[in-house]
Amino acid sequence: MDILTQLKKQAEQVEVLNLQNEKTTIEYEANQLKTCTVAETKGTAVRVIRKGKLGFAASTDDTVMDKLAANALESAAYGDEAPFSFPDQKPAAIVRTFDKAVADLPIARLVEIGKEILDLVLPVEPEARCNISLERSLVSASIRNQKGLDVSFQTSPLSLGVEIDRIEGDDVLILYDQLGTTIWEKDYLDFARRLVEKLKKASTITTIKPGKMPVLFAPTGTLALGLPLSQGLSGKEVYKGTSPMKGKIGEKLFDEKVTIVDDGTIDGKFASASYDDEGMPHHRNVLVDKGVLKSFVYDLKTAAQSGVESTGNASRQLFFPPEPSFTNFVIQPGQTPLKDMLAGIDEGIMVEDLLGLGQGNIISGAFSNPLALAFKIEKGEIVGRVKDLSIAGNIYDLLKDVAAVSKEAQWVYSTFYAPYVLIPEMNVAGKS
Amino acid sequence: MRDRIQEALKRSKADYTEIRIEEKETTRVVYRGKDLETANANIDKGGIVRCLIRDKGWGITTFNNLDDLLTKVDQAYQCAQVGSVPEPIELAPVEPVDQVTTAEMKRDFRDISLAEKKALAERYNQVVLGHSDKIIDSQAVYADTFSRLILANSEGTYIEQDKPSVVIGAFAIARDGDNVQQAHETLATTKGYEYVLEKDELARKAAQKSVELLDAKPVKAGQYPVVVDQMLAGVFIHEAFGHLSEADFVYENPKAREMMTMGRRFGKGILNVFDDGSIPDLRGTTLYDDEGIPARRNWLIRDGELVGRLHSRQTAAKMGESASGNARAINYRFAPIVRMTNTAIDNGTTAFEDMIKDIELGIYACDAYGGQTQLENFSFSSGYAYMIRNGKVAEMVKDVILSGNLFTTLENIDAIGNDFKWLNTGGGCGKGNQYPLPVGMGAPHIRIQNVVIGGE
Repeated sequence: MDILTQLKKQAEQVEVLNLQNEKTTIEYEANQLKTCTVAETKGTAVRVIRKGKLGFAASTDDTVMDKLAANALESAAYGDEAPFSFPDQKPAAIVRTFDKAVADLPIARLVEIGKEILDLVLPVEPEARCNISLERSLVSASIRNQKGLDVSFQTSPLSLGVEIDRIEGDDVLILYDQLGTTIWEKDYLDFARRLVEKLKKASTITTIKPGKMPVLFAPTGTLALGLPLSQGLSGKEVYKGTSPMKGKIGEKLFDEKVTIVDDGTIDGKFASASYDDEGMPHHRNVLVDKGVLKSFVYDLKTAAQSGVESTGNASRQLFFPPEPSFTNFVIQPGQTPLKDMLAGIDEGIMVEDLLGLGQGNIISGAFSNPLALAFKIEKGEIVGRVKDLSIAGNIYDLLKDVAAVSKEAQWVYSTFYAPYVLIPEMNVAGKS
Repeated sequence: MRDRIQEALKRSKADYTEIRIEEKETTRVVYRGKDLETANANIDKGGIVRCLIRDKGWGITTFNNLDDLLTKVDQAYQCAQVGSVPEPIELAPVEPVDQVTTAEMKRDFRDISLAEKKALAERYNQVVLGHSDKIIDSQAVYADTFSRLILANSEGTYIEQDKPSVVIGAFAIARDGDNVQQAHETLATTKGYEYVLEKDELARKAAQKSVELLDAKPVKAGQYPVVVDQMLAGVFIHEAFGHLSEADFVYENPKAREMMTMGRRFGKGILNVFDDGSIPDLRGTTLYDDEGIPARRNWLIRDGELVGRLHSRQTAAKMGESASGNARAINYRFAPIVRMTNTAIDNGTTAFEDMIKDIELGIYACDAYGGQTQLENFSFSSGYAYMIRNGKVAEMVKDVILSGNLFTTLENIDAIGNDFKWLNTGGGCGKGNQYPLPVGMGAPHIRIQNVVIGGE
């Protein structure tokens, strides 16, 4: 018997998630095509509400569905009161997440793309060692509940990732970039070209005197600003009282050049789909509008706990209950052309990558990281790579005064979209 | 199952074939604040086949349905045909192992009811929440995992082993206005349920630390002599040095090999570092690695010189060294890669008081939030820290993040304590896509000169 039908007899409310994933991966290690993997995953996760209490269980063994049902009911027996109900089906935006051209990409074509990437990198830097991972998947997910909600979707994630290592003496340079999309992109090598440009720029090493200076965050570098923000904007952190933005809706917290949007309806991105992982429609949620805090992101449970509506931000993996989470995190591009931003900098740095992102007390907004890749800007020009520096600050202070946000923006990996952000003055530490 | 596995191996056309099957049951109870987040049990069962065609490459299949191993082996063989390595891949020779073992726990956590496990987590959560009215949020976690692993290969190895683990964790978040501070404590064991009982002290410590941090001032950025406690020293040696000694970083890279040449000086003569997966009941202990190699002690630094590294069979063969028992996978969805087990700085001779007594202005950094390395560059955060003033531990400071270059930093270790400790924390290590892998760490206190401390 279908597990939904079975559990409906034993609990007031039931939700069943079925997941199936078939993933093919081609890996080049140190420029050599070495491994091909086909991975199949299949699993079922169940939530039940029985006598008002919430239970959860999951399994990848489809021969033990009775045990899965029993585990879910036992979990509910010891569970907390469920403050919410599973939803009715609601209309949602049509979001493209499946492309036959991706799903049908032959292994031979993936192999060829790997060679194309090597052909971009090696002529520029014959000493480079590239680890390339080319991955295409076919994911089917369905969410059903006792109210008749029945949402299913197919996605075709394609992920092309390149790590370039170059070692010269004791100088180690490691660069990484990735394309993540669910729809075939005709400019699929742009990310690799971008990486090669960085590699070229990085070959000149220069020095800078540590101290206070303007810091230009490149799109990849803005992750340092985005990670604490994405935590602080989570409805769960607000409900728990740990978000520094708690109780500040309507207040101007940041510079008016700062606008932050959560958008799960953008075609082709990994976090995009018509519905979230509880079957609620995805939206475009403006969270910070010209510096003013507008909203947080919620799933069903945290929304009910906070007395608001779900914003369609439930996200889950098979073995864990849903959590509120960002879909695609968008820092809105601004008005200033990048070249004008650079031109205004007499001496400063551009931050591309930081080491140890996400560690430390980031919910407080504080970060302190060594710079894995940064360039010196001198009289408006990028003059070379600078090493052994670190930056620290608190984003709730830094983003109050932003000098400029660029017109140019790009997708970082797949779910983070960001422009260049110029902070007028930050302390850059290092051995002088 | 054994017959089916051996039949599938026999029929494989590859040069080398390996099958690993895993059955895992997990119980997890999580409290956050006053709410129970979840109390549940999960079942995860699946397998992986790895085929090697020497002059082409590796083919891998992973799956949940174990009914048709023959097809999976054939599919992996087809995948291996895709590779095009310029030189044949060799595997270091090893003796086949035939061993079926079962884990022994004093009190088997599988016999304990979910109600009792829930009550335990609730109790630790109450200890955190009840500590102070400044504690605004908490997390208390109870998690147990029991894995039954079968590993067999076409060279005659057949191993069955159990991997039990119980972890408890207490997290505390304290707040005073805009000032939000956190602290955590975890404990892991393989020995059984009774070892996570009556650990109120651990929960209390997390709560106390988070409240104390509210009054701590941010550290002033600069260069300091730093005394590092056992926990942070353990994380440091794992993150900053341990990952470099994983041979997959260097085996395909002549320049990295130069950097990691045996005999290269990696610190003063007082420094000794090893990795050892064979010590009973540590977090990273594993009877056999995921290629069937028995765990052993591997010395990495002896008297300040590089003397060894960690290998899989493939990296060992390529470098003309022997397999070290360090090929590990987090689960059946992944092929094994070179990983640490329990990594440690060996005990020294300096007493803690002697280490700090000559420091006029320095930092005593304790505990770890985590860390990251990019070959020679590392960054890791201490959980809490104190200034050292005129030879004495003084006021608490926060946001202490240590970063630097591995070679200079190791060379700058000028005192090693006589208070070695293994740290049975519940965390794990991430590498590639594989996280979290249980690893152990150990160290005495150490003193490092001229450390760059970030900060505003």
